[in-house]
Amino acid sequence: MTDKIIRIRNLTKDIPKEAKTLCDAVLRELENANRPVLEAVKCSLDNSEYDPKVGYLTPGDKRVRTELNVSSVQKMARVVFLLEILLDNLKSGMVNTKREVYYISKGKVKGTPSLKPLDFADQDESDSIIDFIGDMMEVYREELNCFANDRGGQTYSQQLVVTETLPDGETATIDLSTLGTSPFQPKNKPQALKLKAKKKIDFCLVVESEGTAGTLVANGMTKRHNCIVMGAQGVPSNGVRGWCKLIQNQIKVPIYFFGDLDAYTMQNIFRTLKAGSAASLIRNSDFSAPEVRFLGVLPEDVKKYDLYCYPVKENDQAEARSLKKAKDALANDPFFQDKKNRRLAAILEWLVKNKLRCEQQALFSVNTKDPLMAEKIIVDKIKSGSFV
Amino acid sequence: MTKKITSSSTAEYFAKNLQQVGFSSPTKAVLTTLKEAVDNALDACEEHDLLPEIRVSIKKVGSGASKSTDLVEIAVEDNGPGIDPDDLAKVFGEYLASSKFGRGQCTRGQQGIGISAATTWAQLTNAMGARVTTKTARMRKAVSAIVDVDIKGNRGVLKKKDTIDWDIPHGTKVEFRIDGRVQLNGDGGLLTYLEGTTLVNPHLTLHYELPDLETKTVERVSQVLPDVPSATLPHPHTMKLGEFMTHAHLYGKVDFSKFLKTGFSRVTDVTIKEFVKNGMPRALVDKPVMRMSEEEFKTAFSVIQKTELQQPSTRSVLTVGEEALSKSILRLGEVDFFSVMTRKPRICDFKPVVVEVALARFLDRGAGDEPVQLLRFANRVPLQFDKSACAITKAVESVNWRAYGLGQSKDSLPLGPYVFAVSVVSPFIKFKNASKETIDGSDELIEEIRRALMQAGQKLSRHIRKESREADLERKLQHIEQFGPILVEGLVRIVGAPESRKKRAEDGLKKLLGRDTRDAEAALSDAQTKLAALKERERRLGIGGNVEEPDAEDRAGGDAAASGSPPAARKGKPGGTSKASKAAGEAVSARFAATTTKATGPASTSATSTGKKA
Repeated sequence: MTDKIIRIRNLTKDIPKEAKTLCDAVLRELENANRPVLEAVKCSLDNSEYDPKVGYLTPGDKRVRTELNVSSVQKMARVVFLLEILLDNLKSGMVNTKREVYYISKGKVKGTPSLKPLDFADQDESDSIIDFIGDMMEVYREELNCFANDRGGQTYSQQLVVTETLPDGETATIDLSTLGTSPFQPKNKPQALKLKAKKKIDFCLVVESEGTAGTLVANGMTKRHNCIVMGAQGVPSNGVRGWCKLIQNQIKVPIYFFGDLDAYTMQNIFRTLKAGSAASLIRNSDFSAPEVRFLGVLPEDVKKYDLYCYPVKENDQAEARSLKKAKDALANDPFFQDKKNRRLAAILEWLVKNKLRCEQQALFSVNTKDPLMAEKIIVDKIKSGSFV
Repeated sequence: MTKKITSSSTAEYFAKNLQQVGFSSPTKAVLTTLKEAVDNALDACEEHDLLPEIRVSIKKVGSGASKSTDLVEIAVEDNGPGIDPDDLAKVFGEYLASSKFGRGQCTRGQQGIGISAATTWAQLTNAMGARVTTKTARMRKAVSAIVDVDIKGNRGVLKKKDTIDWDIPHGTKVEFRIDGRVQLNGDGGLLTYLEGTTLVNPHLTLHYELPDLETKTVERVSQVLPDVPSATLPHPHTMKLGEFMTHAHLYGKVDFSKFLKTGFSRVTDVTIKEFVKNGMPRALVDKPVMRMSEEEFKTAFSVIQKTELQQPSTRSVLTVGEEALSKSILRLGEVDFFSVMTRKPRICDFKPVVVEVALARFLDRGAGDEPVQLLRFANRVPLQFDKSACAITKAVESVNWRAYGLGQSKDSLPLGPYVFAVSVVSPFIKFKNASKETIDGSDELIEEIRRALMQAGQKLSRHIRKESREADLERKLQHIEQFGPILVEGLVRIVGAPESRKKRAEDGLKKLLGRDTRDAEAALSDAQTKLAALKERERRLGIGGNVEEPDAEDRAGGDAAASGSPPAARKGKPGGTSKASKAAGEAVSARFAATTTKATGPASTSATSTGKKA
């Protein structure tokens, strides 16, 4: 029952059956004294491919192979251990977060002393095994009933109506205009949500800082404009990425991203929203919104509005790292290397060359007598096509 | 109106610039004073073929006259030849009065500045120079006097000269009372200096008494005096054109060939034929030096430079030697294992240089995550300041120590409880300053030091590799025991497989992992064999330190005895591991089976029989 509700896509795989087949094959190899091999998609930048027609990062041919030997026997035993926990969850319809799975594993170890060697020292260890299981079976973590905390994506609109199919088959309708000052918090189960616009929506604005998104709304942006305003809260979670994809596909409004002008925002936040990430290659198809545009802060905005910039100090470790990141992205990231995104790459080049960064809140320094100046600039940029 | 130009004496210059010769702070003043006195004592003993026995005493005797200093008494007594009373004033009170200046020898002292500077510092801070007591073999009574520096005249002045009874055949004792501060440990510490000095002087017996520490005696481990290198003729490749021409004119009327043969080392009739072959005009060879033109000198010089010559004589440089260094390093503390390397002499910066390296891991000093302790030596004198600018430090940092099993961040000192001692010996070491604290290194010199370090590192890595193989085997055995049964049980539960499949999978897994263990054992055995071969070679060369022969049991078990690891260490760290792991390796199948039995309960019969089979 729950299986249907939490489905994120129309998966043709029977996960428990596939897992059993896989374990059977491993067992058979052991019986024959052969070394079983577990294979998974290699989820890293060097195995990422970008096709502008597809619009998001997809996996290449590289695979991670784990062959059983004395060094990998621990990993294999842990994979089987967590797989069993996840299969139990699928069977009973229970869902958990990664952290909860970590604690479930702790509980199992406590109850069965012979499992002690499998004990995870910290959550990172169990997380990487869960990710490996997902990559190995080529299923989303969410399809293994393991959900992340629904962080970010607070959404405001006077026109948007969301219809959610609930676990018991009932539906709930949420008219965002009736929520007062509260935002709508999207859940990471896009298949269960249907969107409708009461009135034509002109654009959707995703703001990197949820605080700034809140300010724009509090100052009346959603009242003055037929729009959706959303706070990304930093690097977009799967929930935010799936939600943006849903808005893009179902109500077909142009989506604009507005954030800081720095390498971190460009590569970690905007690229992840638009084309997914290297770590989640197998699910970028459902968790990226390729049509989202970069509204700013653009290098030309810095000049046009005389925005305050911070110099990037190369002797500051964190800032030097961000500069290196920009250089790496230009050299290795297929997204920025594609000619379709050359204007985005040009922004990274500008950052490397000028060694400056400008925060999104710098818009508030323009004409301090007008509290609506930031909104005006944003709307003006959308209207005039000042985006990438 | 032009100002009147005055000239000042050498002593005046140094009195005003004592910081240039090591007296830049109260802490350094104590160390430099000690260093100068000990250097002189060692040089004197070696020059007269006496095995040095030195007594050092440093005491705080009151408050210093300057702010936040102590009045520190530094006394150094040696069993050297003693000093002729007529020379006392010159030795301790006159700058640039040296028996060693410009001789082309690898002595510790070179210019005759250090000890006079110490006297000056004592005089400036405590209004009294050096108190010296000395007795030569020919004297019945010792002479005691205070030497002051007459700063205006750059000469020593004797005061309170007296003859006293001194119950030793010969020797010198010098005492200074100076304003200073005592620092024992760390890069600039007195203890670090004394340890370094004992390390590179295996023939030295040292007694020392330092504040807050018990009196200690470090006995000599070598009865052999280092051959003090006699002043040899320069090597033709050590000169620049100008020097070459000046040198030639000292020889006057002789033929050019005779000048070459008598004025340089490594030039013989055969070499001269080589010169001619390489383009030196034959007529030039027989031409008197006095009649040679500048152009002819240039031609000859360039031919000489491009002709390959035998390297400079080893006799012109001085080495501690791998054997003596091996023995000496054991005096520093409980050594786990070590590696020493003496390079052959080479020309760097046109001068003969010998580099020696000792790397040792100690059981009782340093920590795994701290940088190694780097001891630098130039002509057997510890260098204790301005580490980062020194050629030795640069060379150490340029080596990739990770390849030898040590931790290291990029371009920095490696990490671990190691002492790295690097000694550079050369008749003319290029220092960065008059206080001789850092070696100025050309790329050539750094490369030479680097090679020595890498060779020593390779030896060291044999020890480290064996240890890591042992740990590796132990870890693998543990893994198999721990995870094998759990993996099989998990798979069986998910698949819902019957007991028979479980049993077959356990057997299969055991076979698989048994192969891995055998591989690990083979790797360990290989590492042990290589280490044993290295130690055997070192033993044959007599550079094993005070090391016991490996006993029969150890040999059979391939254990860690031998040259690089002293007996004390064997009782400590890795000794037991390898035996345990070997035994464990043999019993792996049985242990695996036993664990399986515990986990599965009723299947005990079959599991035990599996164990027997294995």
